[in-house]
Amino acid sequence: MALVAERMAGIGSDIRGKNFWAALDLEKQGQKVLKLNTGNPAAFGFKMPESVREALIANLDRSVGYSDVRGMIDARQAIFDYHKAKGIEDFDIDDIFIGNGVSEIASMIATALFDKGEEVLVPSPCYSLWTNEIILSDAKPVYYKCDESNHWNPDVEHIKSLITPKTKAILLINPNNPTGVLYSNDVLLEIAEIARQNNMMILSDEIYDRLVFDGKEHTTMAKLAPDLTILTMNGLSKSHVLCGFRCGWMVISGPEAARKEINEALLKVASIRLGANSIMQTIIPAALADTEYPNSMIQPGGRLYEQRKATCEELDKIPGVSYVKNDGAMYIFPKIDKGAEQIANDKQFAYDLLMDKHVLIVPGSGFKWDAPDHFRIVMLPEAEILRDAVRKMGDFITKNIK
Amino acid sequence: MELIANRVETIGTGTRGKNYWAALDLERQGKEVLKLNSGNPAAFGFKMPESVERAVTQNLHRALGYSDLRGFAEAREAIYEYHVGRGVKNFNIEDIFIGNGVSEVASMIATALFNKGDEFLVPSPCYSLWTNEAALNDATSVYYKCDESNHWNPDVEHIKSLVTKNTKAILLINPNNPTGVLYSKEVLEEIAKLARENNLIIIADEIYDRLVFDGKRHIPMASITEDVLVITANGLSKSHCLCGFRCGWLVISGPAQMRERVNEAILKVASIRLGANSIMQIAIPAALSDSQYTNQMIEKGGRLYEQRAVTCEELNKIDGISYVKNDAAMYVFPKIHKEIADDKKFTYDLLMEKQVLVVPGSGFMWETCDHFRIVMLPEVEALRKAVREMGDFISKL
Repeated sequence: MALVAERMAGIGSDIRGKNFWAALDLEKQGQKVLKLNTGNPAAFGFKMPESVREALIANLDRSVGYSDVRGMIDARQAIFDYHKAKGIEDFDIDDIFIGNGVSEIASMIATALFDKGEEVLVPSPCYSLWTNEIILSDAKPVYYKCDESNHWNPDVEHIKSLITPKTKAILLINPNNPTGVLYSNDVLLEIAEIARQNNMMILSDEIYDRLVFDGKEHTTMAKLAPDLTILTMNGLSKSHVLCGFRCGWMVISGPEAARKEINEALLKVASIRLGANSIMQTIIPAALADTEYPNSMIQPGGRLYEQRKATCEELDKIPGVSYVKNDGAMYIFPKIDKGAEQIANDKQFAYDLLMDKHVLIVPGSGFKWDAPDHFRIVMLPEAEILRDAVRKMGDFITKNIK
Repeated sequence: MELIANRVETIGTGTRGKNYWAALDLERQGKEVLKLNSGNPAAFGFKMPESVERAVTQNLHRALGYSDLRGFAEAREAIYEYHVGRGVKNFNIEDIFIGNGVSEVASMIATALFNKGDEFLVPSPCYSLWTNEAALNDATSVYYKCDESNHWNPDVEHIKSLVTKNTKAILLINPNNPTGVLYSKEVLEEIAKLARENNLIIIADEIYDRLVFDGKRHIPMASITEDVLVITANGLSKSHCLCGFRCGWLVISGPAQMRERVNEAILKVASIRLGANSIMQIAIPAALSDSQYTNQMIEKGGRLYEQRAVTCEELNKIDGISYVKNDAAMYVFPKIHKEIADDKKFTYDLLMEKQVLVVPGSGFMWETCDHFRIVMLPEVEALRKAVREMGDFISKL
């Protein structure tokens, strides 16, 4: 009998993959490594919102017990109000489940909904969480292309060509990780129409929705398609810099019958683990009321805004590299235009960059991108550090790719 | 295509089943319900240890970011010291994984280890978490009897009769939930021998190990065998009344080669979710050095001690009931010597008539309709009244 489960062979995260461990080894050897592999703002000096600190300490005695299986009622009320205000209509407070990060939410969804042989349409490039959870639930991720030449919007024609009788759901990540872009309403409406015609549910991971630059506006998918079953994911890890709190949630919206059935299944899955951690739940109302905190990061002069600016300015100076400027989040996904064919293996490329420049990035293959010509930059360090890091990347690319 | 995954049907809801939701409905109607379905001390006025409150408040800035995949190094250092202090050998600090409660730890273990067709020996009665996680990962739970006439110790002969070539692991819950007993050293040694002979992994859920009464001593499974792979689960939910923190961990001990392979698989599973919540991790060193908090609950005069005393006192007065006095934890699992056709119906009726919610034996995969679990967390007088009401209800059967 095998010691370890076979399903583990399909599991991988290049964000915490071999290059990550190699970076830790370098650090153990006393080298300074700039780790741009994960969107973990706390590692780059972002501070806890004062509103959150106060709420946490004032409510600590409420955190000692298990919460409701779905989550604390006042936290769900705040979440309900938030999504109502974003234009979601058909759901109620019991259609909200709070989890230990969107990580646990994704696991609950996959466990409750996917069976062997079913197909889930996921974007390429795609954040690895979803593909891992889909594989663990015996379903199959089927990758649709996002089109760099169309501002990284999903390629609707490609999506249509991938639909089979086994297609159960489509995943949208908007604002996107790793490209950082915002999808256009026209594309979202087209995807809604495809879902409608093919009886697919939509999973919409919108955790970056409060981190949108340049006065652009994020449209929540569930607002555009109230007649469809949509599971919207969100959380506080990014907008309030609370990755360590593991605070995520989902909202089920759409036709009542399907909503009820899904709710019941999710409730069963959720009840296995009794409840999400209570501590982060006590601060949800305060955090959602504190819009000032995320806004201060994304306005001119704010860290995320200025860090993006510095990154783009430096990227502009690298010959042979192009990029789509991100609209939101903290990621950009540049392309090596010239000489990419010289990169046989982008993991090796990222490893060599790490060894030469002590900068850790995740290459495109870590996001199921199938050509070795992209990499993701996490734009979390202060502007000057980021400037220096992007220069080093440029230096490495011009030196190694002719 | 079905809307819902087939596996959802296999999930047993244990302590959060239909009766639980019926109890919540009663509460919504304005009725007062005594909910003895779940071991959640905070619901009964147990307060957070001051040591924990201080540690969280002072270190909050450290809780902002993702932790290491396995958990903060200093939390794992404290956990390492704790288990070494309890006599566990053959593991190191990297063999510790911190999770969002033993719930997540169980999920990680089952995901990393079980294949379709694998058999998992689990106790009957058994807390539902482990069987649910096994089922979600396509393994088959095979129930071994715990023997009420032998202080609820696992029935070793029964275990032996259940071992097949597909048996992969055996679960021990010691101190036990729902029986509250401590297993004897002899039985643990026999199980270790059996695991050794049949190449089984032992999973030892020992979360109640600090809540042992009467000066008795808990023996960690991993302390009596060095050559069998043991995965020990523990956490702070019960000993420090921190259920809501979701603080659990696992320790892999045993032969280096197996340990490394299991470690690698669990690391992969853990990396999917990046890390456990950081807030509870900053409380671990402070909590594990605060044994005073735990001890004052279990000593004479302490709440858990006195609540058990009063429960037993009242159970003694009920005709047609017997029980094995628990050695630990906050549970007792009495037997009803009367005809009951459906024990879920029995507890539903008890809920409706007396507004007291308990989980029946079937919620713990006990196969005859003659047991139920009492969670001994309310203050003595509330508990006394509740047990009297149970007695009243049972005597009318």
